[in-house]
Amino acid sequence: MKKKLSALLLAFAMLFTLAACSSGSNPGSAAPNDDDNPQQTQSGSQGGSGETIALRVWGAEEDQALLKDLVEKFKAAYPDQTFSIEIGVESESKAKDDILTDVTAAADVFAFACDQLPDLVAAGALLPIDDQMDAVLQNYANKTVADIKSANSEGSVGSATLDGKLYAFPFSADGYFMFYDPSVISADQAKSWDTLLDAAQAGGKKVGMTLASGWYLAGFYYGAGFTTGLNADGTTSMDWNGTSPSGVTGVQVTQAALKIAAHPAFMPVIDGDSSNQIKSGSLCAVVSGCWDSQVAAEAFGDDYMACRLPSFMAGDKEVPGGAVASYKLMGVNAHSKNSGWAMLLAEFLSNEESQVARYSARQLPPTNISAASDPAVAADKGVAGLADQSANASLQAAGGKYWDPVKSFGEQIAQGTIKSDDASVQAALDDLVAGVTAPLG
Amino acid sequence: MKAATTSSEHITLERDLTSSGRFFTDLGTAITKGDLFVKLSILWWGAGYARRKQFFKAIAMTLLEAAVIWFTVAFAVQYVPKIGTLGTVQAEQVFNMETMKTEWNDYDDSFQILLFSVLSFVVWFAAVLVVLKNLVNVYQLQRREELGLHINTFKEDVSTYLNEKFHVTLLSLPVLGVVMFNVIPLFILILVAFTNYDQQHMPPTALFTWTGLTNFINLFGGGGLTLTFGYSFARVLVWTLVWAVFATFTTYFGGILLSLFLNNKRTKFAKLWRALFIVTIAVPQFVSLLLVRNFFADNGIFNGMLTSAATALGIIAEGTTLNFPWLTAPGWAHVMIIIINIWIGVPYQMLIATGVLTNLPVDQIESSRIDGASTSQTFRYITMPYVLFVTGPALVTDFVKNINNFNVIYLLTQDVYTTTNQALANSQATEVDLLVTWLFRLTQDYYNYKMASVIGIAVFIICAVFTLVAFNFMLSGDKEGVYN
Amino acid sequence: MEKKPINTKQLVKDIFRHVFIVLMVAVWLVPIVWLVVTSFSAYDGRDMTNFFPKEWSLIQYQKLFTPDTVANFPAWFMNTFKVACACCVISTLFTLMVAYATSFCDFKSRKPLMNLAVILNLFPGVLSMIAVYFILKALGLTNTHLGLVLVYSAASGLGYLIAKGFFDTVPRALCEAAKLDGASQARTFISVIIPLSKPIIVYTIISSFLVPWMDFVYAKMIMNSGISDMWTVSIGLYNMLDKSLINTYFSQFCAGGVLVSIPISILFVIMQKFYVEGITGGAVKG
Repeated sequence: MKKKLSALLLAFAMLFTLAACSSGSNPGSAAPNDDDNPQQTQSGSQGGSGETIALRVWGAEEDQALLKDLVEKFKAAYPDQTFSIEIGVESESKAKDDILTDVTAAADVFAFACDQLPDLVAAGALLPIDDQMDAVLQNYANKTVADIKSANSEGSVGSATLDGKLYAFPFSADGYFMFYDPSVISADQAKSWDTLLDAAQAGGKKVGMTLASGWYLAGFYYGAGFTTGLNADGTTSMDWNGTSPSGVTGVQVTQAALKIAAHPAFMPVIDGDSSNQIKSGSLCAVVSGCWDSQVAAEAFGDDYMACRLPSFMAGDKEVPGGAVASYKLMGVNAHSKNSGWAMLLAEFLSNEESQVARYSARQLPPTNISAASDPAVAADKGVAGLADQSANASLQAAGGKYWDPVKSFGEQIAQGTIKSDDASVQAALDDLVAGVTAPLG
Repeated sequence: MKAATTSSEHITLERDLTSSGRFFTDLGTAITKGDLFVKLSILWWGAGYARRKQFFKAIAMTLLEAAVIWFTVAFAVQYVPKIGTLGTVQAEQVFNMETMKTEWNDYDDSFQILLFSVLSFVVWFAAVLVVLKNLVNVYQLQRREELGLHINTFKEDVSTYLNEKFHVTLLSLPVLGVVMFNVIPLFILILVAFTNYDQQHMPPTALFTWTGLTNFINLFGGGGLTLTFGYSFARVLVWTLVWAVFATFTTYFGGILLSLFLNNKRTKFAKLWRALFIVTIAVPQFVSLLLVRNFFADNGIFNGMLTSAATALGIIAEGTTLNFPWLTAPGWAHVMIIIINIWIGVPYQMLIATGVLTNLPVDQIESSRIDGASTSQTFRYITMPYVLFVTGPALVTDFVKNINNFNVIYLLTQDVYTTTNQALANSQATEVDLLVTWLFRLTQDYYNYKMASVIGIAVFIICAVFTLVAFNFMLSGDKEGVYN
Repeated sequence: MEKKPINTKQLVKDIFRHVFIVLMVAVWLVPIVWLVVTSFSAYDGRDMTNFFPKEWSLIQYQKLFTPDTVANFPAWFMNTFKVACACCVISTLFTLMVAYATSFCDFKSRKPLMNLAVILNLFPGVLSMIAVYFILKALGLTNTHLGLVLVYSAASGLGYLIAKGFFDTVPRALCEAAKLDGASQARTFISVIIPLSKPIIVYTIISSFLVPWMDFVYAKMIMNSGISDMWTVSIGLYNMLDKSLINTYFSQFCAGGVLVSIPISILFVIMQKFYVEGITGGAVKG
């Protein structure tokens, strides 16, 4: 029994260290930057507020070198202020996962894909770009929020806006469209799935597209006029099991997708595996995005083509091939210790100059209208393909419950496990909608 | 030692002093019969020691008491009073134009409140034990003084911690570690199951609060938060058990057979073979499993090799590719996961079995051979029972480990396996999920901590029941006695 | 082979036996061989058609040792090594201390404590992760290697069973003799029991040394600043297989895997004897 007594002596010693550490800093004020960060404590400061502003930026792996350059330029743009800016690695597609685990430990400024916006906003992770931020931008960067909104494409601003509030700065368009090999497929054949697949079969090649994904699959339905929506309580609304405003039923769209997937020349691609498949040489057309431009050029030849997704027949109506309009955004952590400066940095990393630099480094299409109209950018086939698709692309509003059920539904279409008679498809769609629209819990 | 007491008297007195063995009886005696200083020890922990001139101890206990009080005043009071509601003050922010910083109100963070309250309760529980134990101790001192027995000097007290109380010295740090990194997290986990901590209620932005048994009711079909949650739970549970049985027994018997094979006198270069098998354990699992996952991917190298082989043999036409869904279709994936687990687990079990087999009762085997028993008979009636006897308990722990075998399933199927079962997908589960991987995904991707906690508790109950039953069934008698 | 008159039946049996073993070993080593040959490939991504690389090269290793923005293998390796060494010391000490106390010391709360340990071991660790994270955060230890060391080793006392099993097989007469010689419990532990326990010490050292090389879940959660120089090998290599990176880093991942496995394999093969004795001594008791 005495064991306990002495164990506790020690336990207390440690618990007090804990207490000392915690009571020092109010949990609420625990900032994204560790206090023991050596760079932060050395305050060799002159000019500006006299304080070294410590910031941390998260960007994609491929963007690290670019970010380094841009951050240097940012420092040069504000010579009166001393900064200590760290650059961390966080893939844009997974930023949410790490941010939401502990918002207060996440970076001050981070890049993320726009589908994560609702979750990030709901968790209070994003600092809204409100009137005060407008004032900050006016004071320091000489531009207003209205300037930024008008400088970027409407869709990109829309993707960064929720309930009328702007939450992040768009810096790159991230949508998908179709690449094809003109030696196998003519421009006319690329206009509809039927002719496209037949031409591919005749050429002994395949057409690749990811179906098991809430992002790609939605294109079929959005194109036919169906929608998804995000409710205030975080649940998702979905009408795919009904009839769209354009008079097409979800059953018909699903049957069309099933028919496409069952075509011998169709190849369902695993999400994220498209570049591998293009490289393998078995494809003559693929639904993908600008990130695959180079690979497509290598596989399909320099005269490769990029255009909007082909149309398909739903019942007796022709439905244009829709897509999800997606963007990459630069956001500011609501819990950032230096939120004002973080905002300025985020704006800087997404301004016209930075977008041009990003295009030259990685061929990612800018959202800035004047950057996009740059002749070199406009001539890029991938960018042109994305622009072509944008006529049929819609923003995607969906909550957290949307993704897994739709991914599974897409996989069922890809594998053909749904029977194509009306009743079975209707039942499958009803199940899907039930899952997507389920309350959170 | 006082001259007045002879040695035999001394022993009798010591025997009188030995505690009754029941803590609360001792405590009762101490409180009723203790003198003023003993009673005062409740308020001033060092009182009893100071009275018996054990000043070091008195100072130590006083400092400890001061520390506990300081902990309570400076730390615990911020959190513990809010435990009933888990906080009421929502976070609000104001941007300060001057400093370019966001200023926050003094908001409540439900998770911090929960965590630090649990911590405070643990500390206070410990403090109460200290006080009570302290009472008994100082009463003992009082008795020793009354009987004229020797009272330990500080040095003697210290030396007891290297002798009869050596276990205290040994256990204190490890126990502290376990309390901090195992017990407290565990309490949190259990408590979270009774709250609404999920994506809609994520600190620091939002508060969460107590919801009683709602989550448990929802899991077992009452509430209907997700229509398919109960169904998914049943499916995942069944696969978890099937997996645990197969994973445990295939590797266990595989390992024994392999080691028997290698241990056989007629096997040459046994050491070399053994070393080659061991290489597979030495490659970290996340490397070997991620590698294997790419090896068996739909468009992976294995399908590629099969295709070229089949094309060369003329089984399939030129240009067609074989795309076996090794790890992507139900059934296929289940079998492959178990096979890959054999690949990973058998060398390890072989190592253990090799060790066990070297200790085989050789004389028994010899005599059975003389009696004309065949090799298989020897194996069945002598080797196997011995090995089972020795490694039986390990088998039970292996089973529990496999129920919680996160690595194999997660590394092989995450981002690769897509379910075609809409009902499972609607609950974010897949056919190949174990309960632990499912709950991991619920926390990582959906921040559904409350349901994950409920599943965690369910996993614990399953493991506990199994362990109890298995140990009762397998272990007849306490083997410790054999050696002690 | 054997000096006895050659028994044909026996010979055929022996040949079969060895062919079987070679086949098994071959099957077992296929993925490992693939790992090694891919690490010598000049091609960065996954080659889906050729088992052996079309073009051999050391470029992946060279890249691994020239840190870029994504991969800083030398730093990861050193980080992991440091953490592993610290972990090793603490875990080994804790495990042996608990094992000795539960095996040799007789005290009232021994049984209850052991039962408690059994129960604690039944809870799935991944779930308490978030709480562990916030405890570390309260201590200011997230994004530090000390935090990782604590996570891996602080609760290591719970894994005492195998060591206890080993200690239980040590003859009690030895301790009695030491006691008669006037040795304290501490003395007995350090100069009598420890020297006898080489196998179990080696076993504990190896198993605790391996933990930081194997774990990626906790490491990823605790080292969440995104600063890749702080990562351990497992986070770094795991990250290389991210969807967006796999096609440029797969071969480097293999090279990294090989480099991590070499020291561990050597350790294992050399220590095999002790390892087996240790775990068996323990398993005998369970």
